[in-house]
Amino acid sequence: MDVTSRRFLWLYAKSQLKLKYRDTYLGFVWNFVEPALYLGMLSVIFSAVNRMNMHDYTVFLFGALIPWRYFESAVSGATESIVGGGWLLKKMYVSPLVFPLIRWLVASLEFLFSFTVVLLLLIFMKDHWTVHLCILPLSILPWAMLSLGVGLICAVFFSFFRDVRPIVNMVMMFTFFSSPILFKIDFFDSHTLQAFLLKFHPMTYFAFLFQKPIYYASWPSMRDWGITFGISAAVVIIGCYLVHKFQGRYYFYL
Amino acid sequence: MAIIFQLENVSVSFDKHAIVQRSLKHALSGWLRRHNRTTFYALSKVSVAIHEGDHVGLIGRNGAGKSTLLRVLTKVITPQEGSVSLCADRHIAPLLELGLGFHPDLSGRENCFLAGALMGYSATEIHRKMDGIIRFAELEEFIDEPVKNYSSGMFGRLAFALATDIEPEVLLVDEVFGVGDEFFMRKCVVRMQRLMQAGITTVFVSHNVDFLVAQCNRMIWLDKGHVVMDGPPREVAAAYRSAEGSLA
Repeated sequence: MDVTSRRFLWLYAKSQLKLKYRDTYLGFVWNFVEPALYLGMLSVIFSAVNRMNMHDYTVFLFGALIPWRYFESAVSGATESIVGGGWLLKKMYVSPLVFPLIRWLVASLEFLFSFTVVLLLLIFMKDHWTVHLCILPLSILPWAMLSLGVGLICAVFFSFFRDVRPIVNMVMMFTFFSSPILFKIDFFDSHTLQAFLLKFHPMTYFAFLFQKPIYYASWPSMRDWGITFGISAAVVIIGCYLVHKFQGRYYFYL
Repeated sequence: MAIIFQLENVSVSFDKHAIVQRSLKHALSGWLRRHNRTTFYALSKVSVAIHEGDHVGLIGRNGAGKSTLLRVLTKVITPQEGSVSLCADRHIAPLLELGLGFHPDLSGRENCFLAGALMGYSATEIHRKMDGIIRFAELEEFIDEPVKNYSSGMFGRLAFALATDIEPEVLLVDEVFGVGDEFFMRKCVVRMQRLMQAGITTVFVSHNVDFLVAQCNRMIWLDKGHVVMDGPPREVAAAYRSAEGSLA
Protein backbone atom coordinates (compact mmCIF):
# COMPACT_ATOMS: atom_id res chain seq x y z
CA MET A 1 0.00 0.00 0.00
CA ASP A 2 1.35 3.45 -0.90
CA VAL A 3 2.09 6.21 1.64
CA THR A 4 -0.99 8.28 0.73
CA SER A 5 -3.34 5.34 1.27
CA ARG A 6 -1.65 4.51 4.58
CA ARG A 7 -1.94 8.08 5.86
CA PHE A 8 -5.58 8.25 4.82
CA LEU A 9 -6.29 4.88 6.43
CA TRP A 10 -5.14 6.03 9.88
CA LEU A 11 -6.77 9.43 9.72
CA TYR A 12 -10.07 8.11 8.41
CA ALA A 13 -10.22 5.23 10.91
CA LYS A 14 -9.52 7.74 13.71
CA SER A 15 -12.20 10.12 12.49
CA GLN A 16 -14.72 7.26 12.09
CA LEU A 17 -14.19 6.26 15.72
CA LYS A 18 -14.33 9.87 16.88
CA LEU A 19 -17.55 10.56 14.96
CA LYS A 20 -19.22 7.34 16.07
CA TYR A 21 -18.92 8.26 19.72
CA ARG A 22 -18.73 12.06 19.64
CA ASP A 23 -22.47 12.61 19.93
CA THR A 24 -23.33 9.71 22.25
CA TYR A 25 -23.59 10.35 25.97
CA LEU A 26 -22.00 7.04 27.00
CA GLY A 27 -19.58 6.92 24.05
CA PHE A 28 -17.37 3.84 24.04
CA VAL A 29 -19.31 2.29 26.94
CA TRP A 30 -21.98 1.16 24.47
CA ASN A 31 -19.45 -1.38 23.23
CA PHE A 32 -19.68 -3.09 26.55
CA VAL A 33 -23.42 -2.69 27.26
CA GLU A 34 -24.56 -4.31 24.03
CA PRO A 35 -22.49 -7.53 24.23
CA ALA A 36 -23.20 -7.79 27.96
CA LEU A 37 -26.94 -7.70 27.30
CA TYR A 38 -26.61 -10.22 24.49
CA LEU A 39 -24.51 -12.49 26.68
CA GLY A 40 -26.98 -12.12 29.55
CA MET A 41 -29.99 -13.06 27.44
CA LEU A 42 -28.32 -16.05 25.84
CA SER A 43 -27.11 -17.22 29.26
CA VAL A 44 -30.63 -17.26 30.67
CA ILE A 45 -32.07 -19.17 27.72
CA PHE A 46 -29.31 -21.59 26.82
CA SER A 47 -28.26 -22.52 30.35
CA ALA A 48 -31.69 -24.19 30.56
CA VAL A 49 -31.29 -25.82 27.13
CA ASN A 50 -27.85 -27.11 28.03
CA ARG A 51 -28.99 -28.09 31.55
CA MET A 52 -26.12 -26.15 33.10
CA ASN A 53 -25.77 -23.87 36.08
CA MET A 54 -26.30 -20.33 34.80
CA HIS A 55 -23.08 -18.87 36.24
CA ASP A 56 -21.11 -21.73 34.82
CA TYR A 57 -22.80 -21.42 31.46
CA THR A 58 -22.22 -17.65 31.24
CA VAL A 59 -18.49 -18.20 31.67
CA PHE A 60 -18.56 -20.91 28.99
CA LEU A 61 -20.59 -18.79 26.60
CA PHE A 62 -18.37 -15.77 27.12
CA GLY A 63 -15.41 -17.83 25.88
CA ALA A 64 -16.33 -17.91 22.21
CA LEU A 65 -19.29 -15.59 21.89
CA ILE A 66 -17.35 -12.33 22.30
CA PRO A 67 -14.74 -13.16 19.61
CA TRP A 68 -17.55 -14.49 17.38
CA ARG A 69 -19.40 -11.19 17.62
CA TYR A 70 -16.18 -9.41 16.71
CA PHE A 71 -15.75 -11.69 13.69
CA GLU A 72 -19.36 -11.12 12.65
CA SER A 73 -19.20 -7.34 12.98
CA ALA A 74 -15.82 -7.06 11.21
CA VAL A 75 -16.96 -9.22 8.27
CA SER A 76 -20.33 -7.55 8.02
CA GLY A 77 -18.74 -4.07 8.02
CA ALA A 78 -16.04 -5.02 5.52
CA THR A 79 -18.41 -6.69 3.03
CA GLU A 80 -19.88 -3.44 1.73
CA SER A 81 -16.78 -1.37 2.40
CA ILE A 82 -15.28 -1.19 -1.12
CA VAL A 83 -18.67 -0.32 -2.64
CA GLY A 84 -19.24 2.12 0.24
CA GLY A 85 -15.88 3.74 -0.56
CA GLY A 86 -17.08 4.45 -4.11
CA TRP A 87 -17.45 8.15 -3.28
CA LEU A 88 -13.64 8.30 -3.10
CA LEU A 89 -12.53 5.43 -5.31
CA LYS A 90 -14.34 7.04 -8.25
CA LYS A 91 -12.64 10.38 -7.77
CA MET A 92 -9.18 9.84 -6.37
CA TYR A 93 -6.56 7.14 -6.28
CA VAL A 94 -6.37 5.25 -2.99
CA SER A 95 -5.72 1.57 -2.52
CA PRO A 96 -9.08 -0.29 -2.36
CA LEU A 97 -7.57 -2.21 0.55
CA VAL A 98 -8.05 0.92 2.67
CA PHE A 99 -11.82 0.56 3.10
CA PRO A 100 -12.04 -3.04 4.41
CA LEU A 101 -9.02 -2.28 6.60
CA ILE A 102 -10.73 0.73 8.17
CA ARG A 103 -13.80 -1.36 9.06
CA TRP A 104 -11.59 -4.10 10.44
CA LEU A 105 -9.53 -1.65 12.52
CA VAL A 106 -12.62 -0.04 14.02
CA ALA A 107 -14.20 -3.43 14.81
CA SER A 108 -10.92 -4.66 16.34
CA LEU A 109 -10.58 -1.66 18.64
CA GLU A 110 -14.18 -1.95 19.78
CA PHE A 111 -13.69 -5.67 20.40
CA LEU A 112 -10.56 -5.10 22.49
CA PHE A 113 -12.46 -2.65 24.66
CA SER A 114 -15.57 -4.76 25.14
CA PHE A 115 -13.53 -7.93 25.68
CA THR A 116 -11.45 -6.33 28.44
CA VAL A 117 -14.50 -4.95 30.24
CA VAL A 118 -16.53 -8.16 30.02
CA LEU A 119 -13.49 -10.18 31.15
CA LEU A 120 -13.13 -7.98 34.24
CA LEU A 121 -16.83 -8.46 35.00
CA LEU A 122 -16.64 -12.21 34.65
CA ILE A 123 -13.99 -12.37 37.35
CA PHE A 124 -16.92 -12.07 39.77
CA MET A 125 -18.79 -14.93 38.13
CA LYS A 126 -16.06 -17.57 38.20
CA ASP A 127 -14.77 -19.04 41.45
CA HIS A 128 -11.11 -19.16 40.60
CA TRP A 129 -9.10 -18.03 37.64
CA THR A 130 -6.04 -19.81 36.36
CA VAL A 131 -2.76 -18.87 34.71
CA HIS A 132 -4.15 -20.07 31.36
CA LEU A 133 -5.83 -16.71 30.88
CA CYS A 134 -2.51 -15.12 30.01
CA ILE A 135 -2.66 -16.87 26.60
CA LEU A 136 -5.77 -14.88 25.57
CA PRO A 137 -3.89 -12.04 23.78
CA LEU A 138 -2.42 -14.71 21.49
CA SER A 139 -5.86 -16.32 21.04
CA ILE A 140 -7.13 -13.03 19.62
CA LEU A 141 -4.62 -13.14 16.78
CA PRO A 142 -6.12 -15.97 14.63
CA TRP A 143 -9.60 -14.46 15.10
CA ALA A 144 -8.33 -11.05 14.00
CA MET A 145 -6.61 -12.56 10.94
CA LEU A 146 -9.70 -14.60 10.07
CA SER A 147 -11.93 -11.51 10.36
CA LEU A 148 -9.63 -9.51 8.11
CA GLY A 149 -9.25 -12.25 5.51
CA VAL A 150 -12.94 -13.18 5.28
CA GLY A 151 -13.82 -9.45 5.26
CA LEU A 152 -11.49 -8.82 2.32
CA ILE A 153 -12.85 -11.78 0.33
CA CYS A 154 -16.48 -10.74 0.95
CA ALA A 155 -15.68 -7.10 0.04
CA VAL A 156 -14.22 -8.19 -3.32
CA PHE A 157 -17.15 -10.46 -4.20
CA PHE A 158 -19.74 -7.92 -3.06
CA SER A 159 -18.19 -5.31 -5.39
CA PHE A 160 -19.00 -7.51 -8.39
CA PHE A 161 -22.12 -9.35 -7.20
CA ARG A 162 -24.60 -7.64 -4.91
CA ASP A 163 -26.18 -11.04 -4.07
CA VAL A 164 -23.22 -11.70 -1.82
CA ARG A 165 -24.73 -9.81 1.15
CA PRO A 166 -27.57 -12.26 1.96
CA ILE A 167 -25.30 -15.21 1.18
CA VAL A 168 -22.74 -13.94 3.71
CA ASN A 169 -25.47 -13.47 6.32
CA MET A 170 -26.76 -17.00 5.80
CA VAL A 171 -23.32 -18.59 5.91
CA MET A 172 -22.53 -16.68 9.11
CA MET A 173 -25.78 -17.81 10.70
CA PHE A 174 -25.19 -21.42 9.72
CA THR A 175 -21.60 -21.32 10.99
CA PHE A 176 -22.68 -19.84 14.31
CA PHE A 177 -25.44 -22.33 15.09
CA SER A 178 -23.47 -25.34 13.84
CA SER A 179 -20.34 -24.59 15.86
CA PRO A 180 -19.73 -25.27 19.55
CA ILE A 181 -20.14 -21.66 20.63
CA LEU A 182 -23.58 -21.98 22.22
CA PHE A 183 -23.19 -25.61 23.31
CA LYS A 184 -20.32 -27.65 24.71
CA ILE A 185 -18.45 -30.02 22.43
CA ASP A 186 -19.53 -32.99 24.58
CA PHE A 187 -23.21 -32.07 24.12
CA PHE A 188 -23.40 -34.90 21.55
CA ASP A 189 -22.30 -38.44 22.37
CA SER A 190 -18.91 -39.18 20.89
CA HIS A 191 -20.20 -41.89 18.53
CA THR A 192 -22.88 -39.67 16.92
CA LEU A 193 -22.63 -38.11 13.48
CA GLN A 194 -22.89 -34.62 14.96
CA ALA A 195 -19.85 -35.16 17.18
CA PHE A 196 -17.95 -36.54 14.20
CA LEU A 197 -18.86 -33.54 12.02
CA LEU A 198 -17.86 -31.06 14.73
CA LYS A 199 -14.30 -32.37 14.52
CA PHE A 200 -14.18 -31.02 10.96
CA HIS A 201 -15.83 -27.70 11.79
CA PRO A 202 -13.09 -25.05 11.70
CA MET A 203 -14.97 -22.88 14.19
CA THR A 204 -14.57 -25.65 16.80
CA TYR A 205 -10.84 -24.96 16.93
CA PHE A 206 -11.24 -21.19 16.87
CA ALA A 207 -13.71 -21.50 19.79
CA PHE A 208 -11.22 -23.68 21.72
CA LEU A 209 -8.68 -20.85 21.71
CA PHE A 210 -10.92 -18.96 24.12
CA GLN A 211 -13.00 -21.71 25.74
CA LYS A 212 -10.02 -23.74 26.92
CA PRO A 213 -8.24 -20.96 28.88
CA ILE A 214 -11.45 -19.36 30.16
CA TYR A 215 -13.75 -22.30 30.88
CA TYR A 216 -11.77 -25.54 30.84
CA ALA A 217 -8.70 -24.01 32.56
CA SER A 218 -6.33 -25.61 30.07
CA TRP A 219 -4.01 -24.53 27.26
CA PRO A 220 -5.18 -24.75 23.65
CA SER A 221 -3.42 -27.71 22.00
CA MET A 222 -0.83 -27.45 19.24
CA ARG A 223 -3.49 -28.85 16.92
CA ASP A 224 -5.80 -25.90 17.81
CA TRP A 225 -3.04 -23.38 17.11
CA GLY A 226 -1.94 -25.10 13.91
CA ILE A 227 -5.43 -25.31 12.41
CA THR A 228 -6.49 -21.79 13.38
CA PHE A 229 -3.28 -20.03 12.36
CA GLY A 230 -3.15 -22.09 9.15
CA ILE A 231 -6.73 -21.26 8.13
CA SER A 232 -6.54 -17.59 9.10
CA ALA A 233 -3.18 -17.00 7.36
CA ALA A 234 -4.47 -18.70 4.19
CA VAL A 235 -7.64 -16.58 4.26
CA VAL A 236 -5.67 -13.32 4.68
CA ILE A 237 -3.37 -14.24 1.79
CA ILE A 238 -6.33 -15.11 -0.47
CA GLY A 239 -8.12 -11.88 0.55
CA CYS A 240 -5.10 -9.64 -0.17
CA TYR A 241 -4.49 -11.46 -3.46
CA LEU A 242 -8.10 -10.96 -4.59
CA VAL A 243 -8.18 -7.26 -3.66
CA HIS A 244 -4.95 -6.74 -5.56
CA LYS A 245 -5.95 -8.87 -8.56
CA PHE A 246 -9.12 -6.90 -9.27
CA GLN A 247 -7.63 -3.50 -8.35
CA GLY A 248 -8.27 -1.94 -11.74
CA ARG A 249 -11.83 -3.24 -12.07
CA TYR A 250 -13.71 -1.87 -9.04
CA TYR A 251 -14.25 1.51 -10.70
CA PHE A 252 -16.51 -0.04 -13.31
CA TYR A 253 -18.72 -1.77 -10.72
CA LEU A 254 -19.12 0.97 -8.10
CA MET B 1 11.96 18.25 -21.01
CA ALA B 2 10.86 15.35 -18.80
CA ILE B 3 7.69 13.51 -19.72
CA ILE B 4 5.19 13.57 -16.83
CA PHE B 5 2.45 11.46 -18.44
CA GLN B 6 2.76 9.16 -21.41
CA LEU B 7 -0.40 7.50 -22.74
CA GLU B 8 -0.20 5.06 -25.63
CA ASN B 9 -3.30 3.68 -27.36
CA VAL B 10 -5.32 4.00 -24.18
CA SER B 11 -8.92 2.77 -24.34
CA VAL B 12 -11.47 2.84 -21.54
CA SER B 13 -14.80 1.15 -22.03
CA PHE B 14 -17.89 0.73 -19.87
CA ASP B 15 -20.42 -2.07 -20.08
CA LYS B 16 -23.91 -0.89 -20.87
CA HIS B 17 -26.67 -2.13 -18.54
CA ALA B 18 -24.12 -2.17 -15.72
CA ILE B 19 -26.83 -2.42 -13.05
CA VAL B 20 -28.04 -5.82 -14.25
CA GLN B 21 -24.48 -7.06 -14.51
CA ARG B 22 -23.96 -6.74 -10.77
CA SER B 23 -26.27 -9.65 -10.05
CA LEU B 24 -25.16 -13.24 -9.67
CA LYS B 25 -27.95 -14.35 -12.01
CA HIS B 26 -26.56 -12.25 -14.85
CA ALA B 27 -23.01 -13.48 -14.24
CA LEU B 28 -24.12 -17.13 -14.24
CA SER B 29 -26.23 -16.78 -17.37
CA GLY B 30 -23.27 -15.01 -18.99
CA TRP B 31 -21.02 -17.98 -18.28
CA LEU B 32 -23.60 -20.47 -19.50
CA ARG B 33 -24.83 -18.71 -22.64
CA ARG B 34 -21.95 -16.35 -23.41
CA HIS B 35 -24.28 -13.50 -24.34
CA ASN B 36 -22.77 -10.50 -26.05
CA ARG B 37 -21.85 -7.51 -23.97
CA THR B 38 -22.53 -4.07 -25.31
CA THR B 39 -19.77 -1.67 -24.46
CA PHE B 40 -19.38 2.05 -24.72
CA TYR B 41 -15.92 3.55 -25.31
CA ALA B 42 -15.25 6.63 -23.18
CA LEU B 43 -11.71 6.80 -24.55
CA SER B 44 -10.59 5.09 -27.72
CA LYS B 45 -6.92 4.60 -28.64
CA VAL B 46 -5.76 7.86 -27.11
CA SER B 47 -2.02 8.60 -27.30
CA VAL B 48 -0.82 11.72 -25.51
CA ALA B 49 2.45 12.81 -23.90
CA ILE B 50 2.42 15.64 -21.36
CA HIS B 51 5.76 17.27 -20.58
CA GLU B 52 7.04 19.12 -17.56
CA GLY B 53 5.84 22.74 -17.58
CA ASP B 54 2.94 22.06 -19.96
CA HIS B 55 -0.33 23.81 -19.17
CA VAL B 56 -2.84 21.65 -20.99
CA GLY B 57 -6.48 22.53 -21.46
CA LEU B 58 -8.88 19.69 -22.28
CA ILE B 59 -11.96 20.72 -24.22
CA GLY B 60 -14.87 18.89 -25.79
CA ARG B 61 -18.63 18.44 -25.56
CA ASN B 62 -20.30 16.64 -22.66
CA GLY B 63 -19.38 12.95 -22.76
CA ALA B 64 -16.31 13.56 -24.92
CA GLY B 65 -14.04 11.73 -22.45
CA LYS B 66 -12.33 14.72 -20.77
CA SER B 67 -13.02 13.64 -17.20
CA THR B 68 -12.25 10.01 -18.04
CA LEU B 69 -8.87 11.07 -19.40
CA LEU B 70 -8.19 13.03 -16.21
CA ARG B 71 -9.14 9.98 -14.16
CA VAL B 72 -6.71 7.85 -16.15
CA LEU B 73 -3.95 10.39 -15.42
CA THR B 74 -4.76 10.27 -11.69
CA LYS B 75 -4.74 6.42 -11.68
CA VAL B 76 -8.41 6.35 -10.62
CA ILE B 77 -9.25 4.41 -13.78
CA THR B 78 -7.05 1.60 -15.06
CA PRO B 79 -7.61 1.43 -18.82
CA GLN B 80 -8.56 -1.91 -20.34
CA GLU B 81 -6.21 -1.37 -23.26
CA GLY B 82 -3.02 0.59 -23.84
CA SER B 83 -0.28 1.73 -21.51
CA VAL B 84 0.02 4.64 -19.10
CA SER B 85 3.32 5.70 -17.60
CA LEU B 86 3.53 8.34 -14.90
CA CYS B 87 6.59 10.15 -13.60
CA ALA B 88 6.67 8.56 -10.16
CA ASP B 89 8.87 11.09 -8.38
CA ARG B 90 6.55 14.07 -9.04
CA HIS B 91 3.94 15.15 -6.55
CA ILE B 92 0.65 14.98 -8.40
CA ALA B 93 -2.32 16.73 -6.78
CA PRO B 94 -5.67 15.82 -8.32
CA LEU B 95 -8.45 18.35 -7.96
CA LEU B 96 -11.29 16.46 -9.59
CA GLU B 97 -13.89 17.68 -7.19
CA LEU B 98 -13.70 20.37 -4.54
CA GLY B 99 -13.94 19.06 -1.01
CA LEU B 100 -13.25 15.48 -1.91
CA GLY B 101 -12.43 13.51 1.23
CA PHE B 102 -14.24 16.06 3.40
CA HIS B 103 -16.54 14.58 6.01
CA PRO B 104 -19.53 16.81 6.81
CA ASP B 105 -19.42 16.10 10.55
CA LEU B 106 -15.74 16.91 10.97
CA SER B 107 -14.50 20.47 11.49
CA GLY B 108 -12.79 22.45 8.73
CA ARG B 109 -9.45 21.94 10.44
CA GLU B 110 -9.90 18.16 10.81
CA ASN B 111 -10.99 17.94 7.18
CA CYS B 112 -7.82 19.72 6.05
CA PHE B 113 -5.75 16.91 7.57
CA LEU B 114 -7.96 14.21 6.07
CA ALA B 115 -8.19 15.67 2.56
CA GLY B 116 -4.55 16.79 2.75
CA ALA B 117 -3.53 13.17 3.37
CA LEU B 118 -5.36 12.20 0.19
CA MET B 119 -3.35 14.77 -1.73
CA GLY B 120 -0.19 13.18 -0.44
CA TYR B 121 0.71 15.51 2.43
CA SER B 122 1.74 14.52 5.93
CA ALA B 123 0.07 15.92 9.03
CA THR B 124 3.21 17.98 9.75
CA GLU B 125 3.09 19.61 6.32
CA ILE B 126 -0.61 20.45 6.67
CA HIS B 127 0.01 21.75 10.18
CA ARG B 128 2.65 24.12 8.82
CA LYS B 129 0.36 25.34 6.04
CA MET B 130 -2.78 25.61 8.17
CA ASP B 131 -2.61 29.35 8.93
CA GLY B 132 -2.14 30.19 5.24
CA ILE B 133 -5.07 27.96 4.25
CA ILE B 134 -7.37 29.55 6.84
CA ARG B 135 -6.35 33.05 5.78
CA PHE B 136 -6.83 32.38 2.06
CA ALA B 137 -10.20 30.71 2.64
CA GLU B 138 -11.26 33.63 4.88
CA LEU B 139 -12.54 31.21 7.51
CA GLU B 140 -10.74 32.43 10.65
CA GLU B 141 -13.90 32.29 12.79
CA PHE B 142 -15.36 29.06 11.44
CA ILE B 143 -12.41 26.71 10.98
CA ASP B 144 -13.33 24.62 14.04
CA GLU B 145 -17.01 24.34 13.08
CA PRO B 146 -18.28 21.17 11.34
CA VAL B 147 -18.22 21.73 7.57
CA LYS B 148 -21.88 20.67 7.32
CA ASN B 149 -22.68 24.08 8.80
CA TYR B 150 -20.71 25.90 6.08
CA SER B 151 -22.36 27.65 3.17
CA SER B 152 -21.46 26.22 -0.23
CA GLY B 153 -19.16 29.19 -0.82
CA MET B 154 -17.30 28.64 2.48
CA PHE B 155 -16.97 24.94 1.70
CA GLY B 156 -15.59 25.61 -1.77
CA ARG B 157 -13.18 28.27 -0.51
CA LEU B 158 -11.68 25.94 2.08
CA ALA B 159 -11.35 23.10 -0.44
CA PHE B 160 -9.73 25.34 -3.04
CA ALA B 161 -7.36 26.90 -0.50
CA LEU B 162 -6.27 23.46 0.66
CA ALA B 163 -5.75 22.14 -2.85
CA THR B 164 -3.64 25.05 -4.03
CA ASP B 165 -1.81 26.20 -0.90
CA ILE B 166 0.22 23.04 -0.85
CA GLU B 167 2.08 23.77 -4.08
CA PRO B 168 2.12 20.49 -5.97
CA GLU B 169 4.40 19.76 -8.92
CA VAL B 170 1.54 18.55 -11.11
CA LEU B 171 -2.03 19.80 -10.70
CA LEU B 172 -4.99 18.19 -12.42
CA VAL B 173 -8.14 20.29 -12.29
CA ASP B 174 -11.64 19.30 -13.35
CA GLU B 175 -14.03 22.25 -13.69
CA VAL B 176 -13.78 23.56 -10.15
CA PHE B 177 -13.61 27.30 -10.68
CA GLY B 178 -17.18 28.21 -9.86
CA VAL B 179 -16.21 28.76 -6.24
CA GLY B 180 -17.32 31.58 -3.98
CA ASP B 181 -18.12 35.12 -5.01
CA GLU B 182 -16.57 37.19 -7.78
CA PHE B 183 -13.74 38.45 -5.54
CA PHE B 184 -12.80 35.01 -4.36
CA MET B 185 -12.82 33.69 -7.94
CA ARG B 186 -10.37 36.39 -8.90
CA LYS B 187 -8.15 35.35 -5.98
CA CYS B 188 -8.32 31.75 -7.23
CA VAL B 189 -7.27 32.69 -10.75
CA VAL B 190 -4.36 34.76 -9.43
CA ARG B 191 -3.22 31.85 -7.31
CA MET B 192 -3.47 29.44 -10.24
CA GLN B 193 -1.44 31.83 -12.41
CA ARG B 194 1.21 32.09 -9.69
CA LEU B 195 1.43 28.29 -9.50
CA MET B 196 1.72 28.03 -13.28
CA GLN B 197 4.42 30.68 -13.44
CA ALA B 198 6.33 28.78 -10.77
CA GLY B 199 6.73 26.01 -13.33
CA ILE B 200 4.25 23.37 -12.22
CA THR B 201 2.56 21.19 -14.80
CA THR B 202 -1.20 21.60 -15.06
CA VAL B 203 -4.01 19.84 -16.85
CA PHE B 204 -7.36 21.64 -16.84
CA VAL B 205 -10.77 20.39 -17.85
CA SER B 206 -13.20 23.21 -18.41
CA HIS B 207 -16.06 24.34 -20.61
CA ASN B 208 -14.76 27.89 -20.27
CA VAL B 209 -12.70 27.89 -23.47
CA ASP B 210 -11.66 31.55 -23.10
CA PHE B 211 -10.20 30.85 -19.67
CA LEU B 212 -8.24 27.91 -21.06
CA VAL B 213 -6.96 29.92 -24.03
CA ALA B 214 -5.73 32.61 -21.63
CA GLN B 215 -4.08 30.22 -19.15
CA CYS B 216 -2.78 27.27 -21.17
CA ASN B 217 0.07 26.78 -23.62
CA ARG B 218 -1.46 23.65 -25.18
CA MET B 219 -4.97 22.49 -25.87
CA ILE B 220 -6.43 19.05 -26.58
CA TRP B 221 -9.87 18.69 -28.14
CA LEU B 222 -11.61 15.42 -27.45
CA ASP B 223 -14.70 14.09 -29.13
CA LYS B 224 -16.40 10.73 -28.47
CA GLY B 225 -13.26 9.39 -26.84
CA HIS B 226 -10.90 10.38 -29.66
CA VAL B 227 -8.30 13.15 -29.78
CA VAL B 228 -9.50 15.44 -32.59
CA MET B 229 -6.80 18.07 -32.29
CA ASP B 230 -3.78 18.78 -30.12
CA GLY B 231 -1.88 22.05 -30.46
CA PRO B 232 -1.67 25.77 -29.61
CA PRO B 233 -4.77 26.92 -27.65
CA ARG B 234 -5.92 29.62 -30.09
CA GLU B 235 -5.90 27.32 -33.10
CA VAL B 236 -7.57 24.43 -31.33
CA ALA B 237 -10.20 26.69 -29.75
CA ALA B 238 -11.00 28.27 -33.14
CA ALA B 239 -11.33 24.87 -34.82
CA TYR B 240 -13.45 23.52 -31.95
CA ARG B 241 -15.77 26.54 -32.04
CA SER B 242 -16.24 26.46 -35.77
CA ALA B 243 -16.88 22.71 -35.84
CA GLU B 244 -19.22 22.59 -32.84
CA GLY B 245 -20.81 25.93 -33.69
CA SER B 246 -21.75 24.70 -37.15
CA LEU B 247 -23.61 21.78 -35.55
CA ALA B 248 -25.82 24.11 -33.56
